[in-house]
Amino acid sequence: MTEPPQNATNGTGPARFGRRQVIAGAGAAVGVVAGAAAGFGVGRAVADDGTSGDIVDLGNSYDFYTGTHQAGVQTLPQRHCVYMTFDLVPGVTTQKFQQLLATWSAGIAQLMAGLPVGSVQPTSPSSPPQDTGEAYDLGPSSLTVTLGLGPGVFDERLGLQAKRPALLKDLPHLPSDALDPGTTGGDLSLQACADDPQVAYHAIRDLAKLGRTVGAVTTRWTVMGFGRASSGKGQTTPRNLLGFKDGTRNLKEPSEFDDFVWVSDDDQPWMNGGTYQIARKIKMNIEIWDSDAIGDQEKIFGRSKGEGAPLTGKAEFDSPDFAATSGGAPVINPKAHIALAAHENNGGIKILRRSYNFTDGINVELGQLDAGLLFMCYVNDPANFVTLQTKLGSSDLLNEYISHVGSAIFAIPPAPQKGHYIGEQLFA
Amino acid sequence: MIRRDSHTVSMRAARSSRKSVVVLSGLTAVALAALSACGGSSDDDTAKGVSTVNVTMASGSNGDECTYDATTAKAGPITFNVKNESATGVSEFEVLQDQKIVGERENLAPGLGGSTFTVTLGGGTYQMYCPGASNESTDLTVTGAQASQSASSTQQLLQQGASDYAKYASDQITNMITAVQVLKNAVDSGDVKAAQDAYAAARPFYERVESDVEGFVLDGYKPTDNHGNLDYLIDMRASNLDPAVGWHGFHAIERDIFAKKKITGSTKKLAGELLINVVKLSQLSQSLTYKPEDLANGAAGLLEEVQSGKISGEEEKYSHIDLVDFAANVEGAEQSFAYLKPGLEKIDPDLTDTISQRFDAVTSMLDGYRDAKELGGYERYTPELKASDANKLSQTVQALQDSLSTIAAKVATA
Repeated sequence: MTEPPQNATNGTGPARFGRRQVIAGAGAAVGVVAGAAAGFGVGRAVADDGTSGDIVDLGNSYDFYTGTHQAGVQTLPQRHCVYMTFDLVPGVTTQKFQQLLATWSAGIAQLMAGLPVGSVQPTSPSSPPQDTGEAYDLGPSSLTVTLGLGPGVFDERLGLQAKRPALLKDLPHLPSDALDPGTTGGDLSLQACADDPQVAYHAIRDLAKLGRTVGAVTTRWTVMGFGRASSGKGQTTPRNLLGFKDGTRNLKEPSEFDDFVWVSDDDQPWMNGGTYQIARKIKMNIEIWDSDAIGDQEKIFGRSKGEGAPLTGKAEFDSPDFAATSGGAPVINPKAHIALAAHENNGGIKILRRSYNFTDGINVELGQLDAGLLFMCYVNDPANFVTLQTKLGSSDLLNEYISHVGSAIFAIPPAPQKGHYIGEQLFA
Repeated sequence: MIRRDSHTVSMRAARSSRKSVVVLSGLTAVALAALSACGGSSDDDTAKGVSTVNVTMASGSNGDECTYDATTAKAGPITFNVKNESATGVSEFEVLQDQKIVGERENLAPGLGGSTFTVTLGGGTYQMYCPGASNESTDLTVTGAQASQSASSTQQLLQQGASDYAKYASDQITNMITAVQVLKNAVDSGDVKAAQDAYAAARPFYERVESDVEGFVLDGYKPTDNHGNLDYLIDMRASNLDPAVGWHGFHAIERDIFAKKKITGSTKKLAGELLINVVKLSQLSQSLTYKPEDLANGAAGLLEEVQSGKISGEEEKYSHIDLVDFAANVEGAEQSFAYLKPGLEKIDPDLTDTISQRFDAVTSMLDGYRDAKELGGYERYTPELKASDANKLSQTVQALQDSLSTIAAKVATA
């Protein structure tokens, strides 16, 4: 990286890239690996608030059977994530669907504990291995797998119409939507996040295999997120592929999760303790953005690129002042990304963002990088996302550089107790 | 694909290291079970024996464990009630004798209701097998009449199926010779249209039994020399040519009569060679015998061919009759399955039903592409058709392939 731009942020003082080194284990599940960041810049394993949410411990595992919320929502975002949606097969029966949920739940419990789903090397030479094996020697790597039920689960196919939560329905068409049917929708979703990308990939691969074996689902679309683009409590704010910090004002406090993420007192009691997941595949016009001047980029976001401070402040976590003017014009453009998304300007609405950067290689037609953001959010009312995206899709200065090409919504049921499976209450 | 040659040997060698671990834990489990049987049940119970065994899978301090309320039973129908309380690493329960499965249940995940099955067992020692549990194998002692009618009749049914299949396979190869003779005659006559018809008519015979006959190497050749590799000489595609050997067989002829639409001296030479090689194949295949697991592996192998060659549209690059080959691969696989079915039904009726249903799903999907006016009776698999339909074709076949690939271990006689 070259020397950071100086005084490039509308007179709010020098912007300085504090080079943050995320400390990663070197592949072995040996516990905390820290202090390997010497070299250049400043190696830090702690975030600005002094906590250590950026330390990666590939031996760490999370419990699946929490009996309350599913993991992978409030869990500190891991570094990698593979997301896949599935369609129910034609003619699927309720019994097959129960078998799928129970088989996936048991499989997820195994995978999150760092264990294989069945034998990697069966004793019978005529038997195909049940677990595909590529994560066999890797640690649990903080894997979480989050299972979602789409609106299609509650149509006439499974006879579960009466169990549909009122809030679970296909999203309306939103301004600027350019959805590709090949990356939209699905009856079920799996979000597998881990600090080792191969652990996340293996989880999705083997759960897809289990789903086929049960005979209940086929694959629909998938995105492989290679870089964390949102932060949890104690984590450094990461950057999206436009080079800006993403999610500085993300939900972090438990009370905020209760207010904006977790469902309570739903019309469907089985959803209490759950949440709604909205996935959006957002492509970025990388090359065009890369030739845009820094002043324009910062105007579009409403923040400085280096520090990530609002254009009305000096430090990342300074509160933006949307009323501030300079020479008669607002310092933060009313159409800037942060102005449109801010809770101050949206009746206090907040959503949990849990996004990942992705790449699909090269767009062969244009010869340009095919990449963007797998925007994931969790809300206790999907209308909150609709409100924000309606506004952003209509006016966001960023729209010139991005395009929403994929979309899906899922109900995330609460996690089961040991001996039970996700969604079991649907059949009670 | 599992081929019936040296691959088998290397697979066996590879698993030996893991196997020793399994055997060790199995022995420990047997010893513990014997102790608990002595201490736990009264002499009276042991002598009379039970007719029901309750099997519980649960996760505990030793990981996932299977526990049994009885390890002795009396000869006759014995019912196993299997319930997975909380063991996430176990999803299957089998009853084995001499490593042969006499009954089993799969898909046993925590939270689902229990599953029940009954097998008729004669006196002797059996193993109750919970793959993935810390106590994988526990002996079941059955007291009473020695003859185990059920187990032996299952094996007899499987063996009978395998030997009946041999006749089916042999018929396909014999008919292939006739069909290739017709192709050669058409090529020799210089009639491109007749050659195209004969080509499409000959292909299915090879595709139905491909996984049985693809391992042959002619006498005097090294296994790595494609000059002696019959599968290469008969069925090699342009994409995988060995420059040292050049192009021979069906697909070289396909290129001439479908892409060049011209029959030359070279086409005639290719057709003559093909007939000679198909006759050689027929002679070599006389020596083939089949075990039940060969049928199962062969069927799974044919579906692999569908996925890798037909749905990709690579197999019939010039004639686009990939769906004809596809249907023949599926037909061959369904035949193998049909010959195993009477025995497999006794081992695992649920799985047998599942596979039957998935074959029905594939064949009814293929029926949608039938077109009597087209060569071979199916629509041409054009790039447009591939673009619109390959995903559906592939996912439907994959569901069948996944379940079919599990039966070899269940019917294995080794």
